Amino acid sequence: MSAGNARRLLPGLAAVALFVLLALVSAGSVFTEAAGFPADASVVEGIGYAMIGLSGSAIPVENFLAVFIAIALALDAALEGSILLAQRGDEGADPLEGGEE
Amino acid sequence: MVVAAQYYLLLAAAVFCIGLFGVLTRRNALVFLMSVELMLNAANINFVAFSHQYGNLTGQTFSLFVMALAAAEVAVGIGIILVLYRNFKDIDVTKATTMRW
Amino acid sequence: MAALDLTPVIPLLPFASFLIALLVGHFYPRALPKGGAVPGILATGVALFLAAWTAVAVSGGETLNETVYTWVAADSFELTFGVLVDPLSSMMLVIVTLVAFLVHIFSLGYMNDEGETGLPRYYAGLGLFSASMLAFVIADNLLMAFMFFELVGLCSYLLIGFWFREEGPPSAAKKAFLVTRFGDYFFLIGVVAVFATFGTAKFVGTEESPGFPVLAEHALTGSAEHVHTFLGMAPEAWFGVVGMLILGGVIGKSAQFPLHTWLPDAMEGPTPVSALIHAATMVAAGVYLVARIYGFYALNPTLLAIIAFIGGFTALFAATMGVVKKEIKQVLAYSTISQYGYIMLGLGAGGYVAGTFHLLTHAFFKALLFLGAGSVIIAMHHNENMWDMGGLKEKMPVTYYTFLSGSLALAGIVPFAGFWSKDEVLYEALVHGLGGMEAGYEGALLLGAYAMGLLAVFFTGFYTFRMVLLTFHGEPRSETARNPHGVGWNVKFPLVVLGILAATVGFVNMVPVAELTGMEIEFLHKWLDGPIHVTQAHYYGELLHDVAHIQAAEVSSLVAGAVSLALALAGAGLALALYRGPAPEEHTEKLGSLKTVLYNNYYQDEYQVWLAEGLTMPLARLADKFDQGIVDGVVNGVSTVSKASGRRVRKVQSGFVTNYVAAAAFGLVVLIIAAGVFGGWLL
Repeated sequence: MSAGNARRLLPGLAAVALFVLLALVSAGSVFTEAAGFPADASVVEGIGYAMIGLSGSAIPVENFLAVFIAIALALDAALEGSILLAQRGDEGADPLEGGEE
Repeated sequence: MVVAAQYYLLLAAAVFCIGLFGVLTRRNALVFLMSVELMLNAANINFVAFSHQYGNLTGQTFSLFVMALAAAEVAVGIGIILVLYRNFKDIDVTKATTMRW
Repeated sequence: MAALDLTPVIPLLPFASFLIALLVGHFYPRALPKGGAVPGILATGVALFLAAWTAVAVSGGETLNETVYTWVAADSFELTFGVLVDPLSSMMLVIVTLVAFLVHIFSLGYMNDEGETGLPRYYAGLGLFSASMLAFVIADNLLMAFMFFELVGLCSYLLIGFWFREEGPPSAAKKAFLVTRFGDYFFLIGVVAVFATFGTAKFVGTEESPGFPVLAEHALTGSAEHVHTFLGMAPEAWFGVVGMLILGGVIGKSAQFPLHTWLPDAMEGPTPVSALIHAATMVAAGVYLVARIYGFYALNPTLLAIIAFIGGFTALFAATMGVVKKEIKQVLAYSTISQYGYIMLGLGAGGYVAGTFHLLTHAFFKALLFLGAGSVIIAMHHNENMWDMGGLKEKMPVTYYTFLSGSLALAGIVPFAGFWSKDEVLYEALVHGLGGMEAGYEGALLLGAYAMGLLAVFFTGFYTFRMVLLTFHGEPRSETARNPHGVGWNVKFPLVVLGILAATVGFVNMVPVAELTGMEIEFLHKWLDGPIHVTQAHYYGELLHDVAHIQAAEVSSLVAGAVSLALALAGAGLALALYRGPAPEEHTEKLGSLKTVLYNNYYQDEYQVWLAEGLTMPLARLADKFDQGIVDGVVNGVSTVSKASGRRVRKVQSGFVTNYVAAAAFGLVVLIIAAGVFGGWLL
């Protein structure tokens, strides 16, 4: 059994190798002093302004209005999709095979 | 005290590789899905770390959208696992191998 | 409109009649009540008129040598179609068109009146043959000549196998085609060799780019830098090889030994076809080719001696076989082989005029004899066995007298045509043989050929008169001979025309009489000294003398003529003695086993069948095994490798998602390491 387990875990070596690689690279990297955020600025307020597309945030941020709307659409689609996938089984017949019965 | 960016990178690399290990070695489809979630969140850690590094909120905003997408993906993924179970009577990913030569 | 402008039209006229017979005969047969005979007769008649007009123009000194169409123009050579009209080709044009015209008229009596079916096919074949033969005659380069050479072979195949529903004709047609094709294979290699050696295959080019005989002559007398020889041979030896290769086609087409076996079998075809193709024209194509490129052959005494020896040997060889045959057409077939041996003997002995003269006379008297035999065959309800005939002299006088005229010409009795031409051939062989004795073995070969040709004269006289006596004299030996079928004017008219020609055409070149009286009556010799310098007869004579160093001894032609005449009369007299009277016996039985050998043609047919089955078939099987095993095996092997490797590689697609991700992850690791190492930021 341990031989079978070992065989199953063999692909995991790829993950370990990747971690070693990434660790080597990141540990050796050098960064400047972190900029950080101003102490009295509100992060959440800034994020809110970015989402709606208004300027007025104290902290620099980009305009995320288009992305916001796109994500809304994607979430809607995912909802419908999962309900559709779940529904096909409840009815008991795949609509593609309905004609044969 | 400000943590240097390298350590965030290291943390993100570790989380990513744990998620990858889970994708490569686990048999249960739900655990497979959870490992994919881990990988997505590792990317999120990176976004936030660099948002702090450069003092720009774009990174944090973007990570919000990544989380939203992860949720959508899980919704659809659970639906797929449902259909998988219906066809193969098991959620073991090693059993679902009919799309082959 | 000058005559020579219309000369290229001459082959097109029978070609048009071929198309009419083929297309109209197939799609709308009611428009051709005689099956295509009328277009054929019209076409060959007009062609005859044009050929005669051309001959008149040529005798006035006009000539034509031009390229009509260039179909490949490469850097080092050109492939063209062209027209060459000089005395030799215009003489041949007249012969071919005249015989074709008479044969078309004769076919009305032989085929139409006998109620044969499938006539459009027959007349189409005759038309295509006439067109091809005429185009061959006026060809100006060796490749074009080769193409039409092959075409006439095809027409021969189609016409021999005309009655293809019986057993004999298709087999004979196949044999004819295969045996001549065997010779033509060497001819094709010879054509390629000519192109490779000289860069041109033209017979007579222009001043700047002369034809290949002239180039060969320059190579031998001057410098050989413009010709390429192969196999490391000196130019003389290489030209001999090329000449022998072309000779292969000549031997096949003119039915010389050893490729003579197809001609007797070719008698399965209709008799007009035998008259046209296998007597007067197609078999003449081979020797005509030798005469056409005589400027090339005249340079090499060894080649000439070989040609003469083959000719002389064939003359004797075939004449001995003709002695024992039962069917009238078989006797004539062997006679044709023998007489073409004489023409080859004449050409090989350096007698260009003699060989051409015998070609001219033979075409007429042999066509006459075949048409006469055709008339007899119609009368005998297609029974060819001479032992069933007899006594036809009274019932068929026109046929008898014309046949007799042809026979006297064939046997070589003075003053009929065959005497003058055969005598001149033997005379040339004698004088050049005697003159060449100092030169060495070539003279001896020529004398040997002369001896064989002389002996063949005796046999020729014998079998000719045996044939005449058995067929026409004596008492009828069967019911059909007592009441022969009558023949109409369409049979008699060609016989009369040819009968007159056989008696008189010899007068164009009476060498003994010229020597005796000193008169300038060698008309053919003067005719062949035409306008184009390099094809003149006396130019060939110069080549023979200067380049080939062939000398001619001084012997009186009267003596030589008297000897051959005596032998011919002796042969005829022996036949008369043996076969006269009301009921001749089969004297050839007395020869016993010799007769069996002769009757079976010295077993040459069996020998050639053995060559095909015993020798070539195993080779062919071996080659087939090579093709199927190795060549096909390689191709199949490539596909097998492809399929096997595909079967292994597709297992990567296991359907197991984790494997795919693992592969992607490993690949990513490798890529990062590679990019890092080469980029310098890793390690």
